[in-house]
Amino acid sequence: MNAPEKIETFRHIGTRPVRPDGVDKVTGKALYGTDFKAPGMLWGAILRSPHPHARILSIDTRAAEKLAGVKAVATGKDLPTLESLVMHVGEGASDIVDISHNCLAFDKVLYEGHPVAAVAAITPELAREAAALISVEYEVLPHVLGLEEALADDAPLIREPAKGGTGETPSNVAMDVTMGRGEVEAALSGAAVVVEGRYTMEPVHQGYIEPHACVASWNGDGQAQIWCSSQGHFMVRSLTASVLAIPQSDIRVTPLEIGGGFGGKTTVYLEPVAMILSRKSGRPVRLGMSREDVFRATGPAPGAIIDVRLGADADGTLVAAEVTFKYHSGAFAANDAGAGVSSAIGHYRIANTRVSGIEVLCNRPAAKAYRAPGAPQVNFAVESAMDELAIRLGMDPLELRMKNAARPGDLQTSGLPWGEIGWMQCLEAAKAHPHWSAPLGPNQGRGIAGGYWGNYGGPSTVNLSVAEDGTFTVATGSPDIGGSRASMAIMAAEVLEVPYEQVRCVVADTSSIGLSFVTGGSRTTFATGMATVEAAREVKRLLCERAARTWQVPAQHVEWRDGHAVCTSGERQGSKMSAAQVAGSSLHSGGPVTATSALSAQGWLPGFGFHICDVEVDQETGHVSIVRYTAVQDVGRAIHADYVEGQIQGGVAQGIGWALNETYIYNKDGKLENPGFLDYRMPVASDMPMIDTVMVEVPNPVHPYGVKGVGEVPIVPPLAAVANAVRAATGKRMRSLPMSPDKVHAALHGEG
Amino acid sequence: MSASPLRIVIMPPFDKEFFGAERLSLDAGNLFELIEKLDAQGPGFAKIARARVHLAVDGVLETDWTRPLADVREVIVLPRVGGG
Amino acid sequence: MNRIHVNSTINGDVTEFLCDPGASLLDVLRDTLHLTGSKEGCGSGDCGACTVELDGEMVCSCLVLAAEAEGRTVATIEGVAEGSVLHPVQQKFLEHAALQCGFCTPGFIVAAKSLLDRNPNPTETEVRYWLAGNLCRCTGYDKIVRAVMDAAAELRQERTAA
Repeated sequence: MNAPEKIETFRHIGTRPVRPDGVDKVTGKALYGTDFKAPGMLWGAILRSPHPHARILSIDTRAAEKLAGVKAVATGKDLPTLESLVMHVGEGASDIVDISHNCLAFDKVLYEGHPVAAVAAITPELAREAAALISVEYEVLPHVLGLEEALADDAPLIREPAKGGTGETPSNVAMDVTMGRGEVEAALSGAAVVVEGRYTMEPVHQGYIEPHACVASWNGDGQAQIWCSSQGHFMVRSLTASVLAIPQSDIRVTPLEIGGGFGGKTTVYLEPVAMILSRKSGRPVRLGMSREDVFRATGPAPGAIIDVRLGADADGTLVAAEVTFKYHSGAFAANDAGAGVSSAIGHYRIANTRVSGIEVLCNRPAAKAYRAPGAPQVNFAVESAMDELAIRLGMDPLELRMKNAARPGDLQTSGLPWGEIGWMQCLEAAKAHPHWSAPLGPNQGRGIAGGYWGNYGGPSTVNLSVAEDGTFTVATGSPDIGGSRASMAIMAAEVLEVPYEQVRCVVADTSSIGLSFVTGGSRTTFATGMATVEAAREVKRLLCERAARTWQVPAQHVEWRDGHAVCTSGERQGSKMSAAQVAGSSLHSGGPVTATSALSAQGWLPGFGFHICDVEVDQETGHVSIVRYTAVQDVGRAIHADYVEGQIQGGVAQGIGWALNETYIYNKDGKLENPGFLDYRMPVASDMPMIDTVMVEVPNPVHPYGVKGVGEVPIVPPLAAVANAVRAATGKRMRSLPMSPDKVHAALHGEG
Repeated sequence: MSASPLRIVIMPPFDKEFFGAERLSLDAGNLFELIEKLDAQGPGFAKIARARVHLAVDGVLETDWTRPLADVREVIVLPRVGGG
Repeated sequence: MNRIHVNSTINGDVTEFLCDPGASLLDVLRDTLHLTGSKEGCGSGDCGACTVELDGEMVCSCLVLAAEAEGRTVATIEGVAEGSVLHPVQQKFLEHAALQCGFCTPGFIVAAKSLLDRNPNPTETEVRYWLAGNLCRCTGYDKIVRAVMDAAAELRQERTAA
C-alpha cells in the first residue's frame, strides 16, 4: 500500500529467528532480579507506613537491633541530607531529593506503604521479625486521594509549598502544561456541531510479574556492586550514586534479566537502601518486594479527570479542540502531564486548539511511567469524543478520522511539524482490512480508535568485537526486555552480511560498556540499533582495511561482500578473505578488531496506531467480552517481526485490561484495598481473543533500517476502541473506566 | 554566528516560568551558547535545561547542542517529554 | 526453631532438605535447592509463575508447604528438557516468540506440558482456560496459545510416528 520508491531486499531484517537468550529463558536457567544471591548475603526487610499521611515523630530501632542475627538497621536519617544531594543531581527530570525521600521517608510519610525503616539479618524470617520490632511514633495528618479534593482550598498540602506550582499560594499542583494555538472559544461557537464530556479513571499499575529486587555490596573503600533487574542499569547507577552522594564509577551495576517493566522500572526504590544496609553490615544485602509492596509503593500510572470539547463543521472538518485534564501525581512530582498534552489531539489537523494539563499531588504512591505515559488517558477522552462527533454528524467514524488526519508537515500541538508519519497509511490499511466490514452478531458492537506516541532516541553505546575465528559479539548497555538481543544481532548480521548465528549479543554491566539510557521511550531498537549498525559498519571497514594491507593493495580496492573482504581491482582482483581469515591473522595485522559506537540518537519519529475492536455485552451481567481485535500500526520497519507483533499484542492486552477491569481501589482511610493479582484483575488467557496485527511500514529515513519505536503506541488506542465498541453494542457511552460489569450493568439498567 | 538574530520561541511552561515572554531575539553560535544567554535572561534556566528542555532547530528536534547555528532562523524551546 | 526433615524426589533425583514449618515449597526450591526457574510473582497463587507438578498434579508451589513434599515427587521447569534436548513446548515457545521478558515462561511451560500430558488435542478455548491461572503481562497470550497448539500438533505427530 505504501510502495517504497526503491525496493530494498534484506538478508535478515524482518525475519523471525530464535532469540539468543531463548534457551536460558525456557529452561529456567536465566537469572532475574529476584534470583540472584551473593555469598555471605544478608536478607533485608522494609517497614512501611500504615498511614497515607503522617508526620514521623520518632523511630525506635533498639529492639530490632538487639535481636540476634540482625546486622544493620537503617532509616531516612541514614541517607545524605538535602544540601549534599543538590550537588549530585541525577539524570532525568526526577528530583533526586524526591527519589531519596521515596526510598526512605525523611520526616513525613506520604502514602500507605511509604518505606520508613529497613533491616538486614541472616535470614528473611529474622529480617521481617526485626522490622516488626521497630516502633514508629506518628502524628497522623489528614490525607487526600482525589484530584478535585486535592485541589480544594482547604486540602491538606502534600508538600509545603508545592514545588513548581503556578499559584502564589501553596497548592498540590505539581506541574502545569498548556499548548495550543488559534481562537478556541470563537471557533467552538461557530462550529456546526460541538461535543463535550468529562472522562474519568483511577490509577492503574504496570503489572510486571517480577517484583523489584536487588543485591548490593558496598565495601569500606567506597566501591560497590549492585545486581538487579531494571530498565536501565546506568539509571540505577546514576540515581543510586546521586541519592548516596558518591561517585558513579564507584558503583558497578550488573544487569540481571528483567521480568517486565513497562516504564515502572525506570527509577530506584530499593538499591540505595540495600547499599546503606550493606555499608553498615559489611555484607552483601538483598532487598525484595512482595506483590503487595509493588502495588502499594511503586509507580502506578495516574488516574485522571479529562474534560474535552470538540467542534466540527457540518462536513466533519474539525475546527476546534479543547482538552483540560488533571492527573494524579501521587506523593511526588511526576511527568505525565507533559506527554499528555502533546499526545492528546496531534493526530488531527485542527486550527484552534488548547490542551492543558496539571499534575496533582496526593497521598498515593508516586506516579511512574507506564507505556506511553500520559497518553492513553487523554486519548480515551478524545477518541471517545470523536466517536460521539461521528454519531452526531451522521458520519462514518473512520471517514471522520481520515478527513481530519494529520499528514507529514502538519503541525503538532507543540507547533513543530510532523515528519514522515504513517498515520494516514494506517487508516487506509484499516479500511481495507476484512475486520472493518465483517458482520457482527447479537449484542455485539464495533469500536475504533487511533492514537500515537512520540518515541525517543538518546544515548546508547555498543561495542562490537571480532573473535579470532571471525564470529562477532555485540555488547550493549540496554537491558533486553522483549527480544532486543535478537534485533541487535539481526542488524549487525545484516551489515556484516553473515549468518545470524555468527553474531551474538550480550548486555554488558556499567563498568564494561559506555553510558546507555533506559530501555524505555520505545528507543532501544532505534537508538541502540543505530549504534549497533554504526559499530558494525566500522568493524566491516576495519576488516577490509586489514585485508587490503595483507594484500598490499589500496584500501579503496577492497569491499565487503557476502561476509568476505573482496579485492575489486588490480592484480589481486577477485581475492577473498572471510571474516575468520582476517580475524585469525589480526594479531599480525594491527591487533584485535573491535569498534565502539557511542552516540546520542536523533531523528526519532512517532508511531501511530489504529485499532478495531468488537465486543459482546452480556445484557444480564454487564460483562464485556472482546470477541475480535485488530491493531494496525506504522512500525517504520520491523527488524524482528515476531517481537514487533508481540509488542503490539502485549500493548493491546494491557489496554484492554485498563479499559475493562484494572483500577486502584482505596478505602476512606487511604488504604489500598486491592493490592494483589486476585483483586487487581489483569487480563488472563481466557479473557482474550487472538490479536490480529497489521504492520504498516513507513520507514524512518534517518535510521539505517527505517526503525521507528513500536512498544508504547499499542496501549494508546484500546481504551477508547473498547468504549466505542461498548457504545455501539449498547447505545451507552461509558465515560468512566474501568468498564467493569457493575458499571456496564448500571448503565444498561439505569442504576447509575 | 548567524547573520540576523535567531528567533527564539519559548513554549509553556518556560515562557512564564523563566522569561515572561513567548518570543525572544538572540545571537548564539551554538545551542550551548544559546542556553547561556537564555539563562542570563531567565536565571535558573540553564540548570533545568538538560533535564526538562528539548530544543528544535528550524522545526526539527536537536539534541546535539554543539551544532552551529549559522543559517538557522528559529529555535523552539519546548518541554522534554518522558518515555516509558 | 524446629526444622523439618523432608525426603522427596525432585526432577527424578532423591532429595533431602530441612525447612521451617511455615516455608513454602517455592521458598525451598528457590532458596534452599537453588532451583530458581520457578518464580515468585505474587506469593498468593494468583500469577502461576511458580507452577510445578506435585505427584503429577499442577500446583502453585507458593501455596504448598515444603513439608508437604515429604515422600512425593516434584517436577519443576528445570526437569522439563531431557538433558540439552528441549521439550516440544519449550521449542515452540522459542519458535513462536511466545516470551518477551520470559519471567512467566517457566510457569507457562510447566502448565502447558501438564495440559498436553492429559489432552493431546486441546481446542484454543481449552488452552486458554487451562492457562488462565498463569499471568503474562508482555504478550497478550496470542503467541503463547499458538505455541501450545503447535506443540500439541507436534507431539501428536511424534506419537503417530512412534
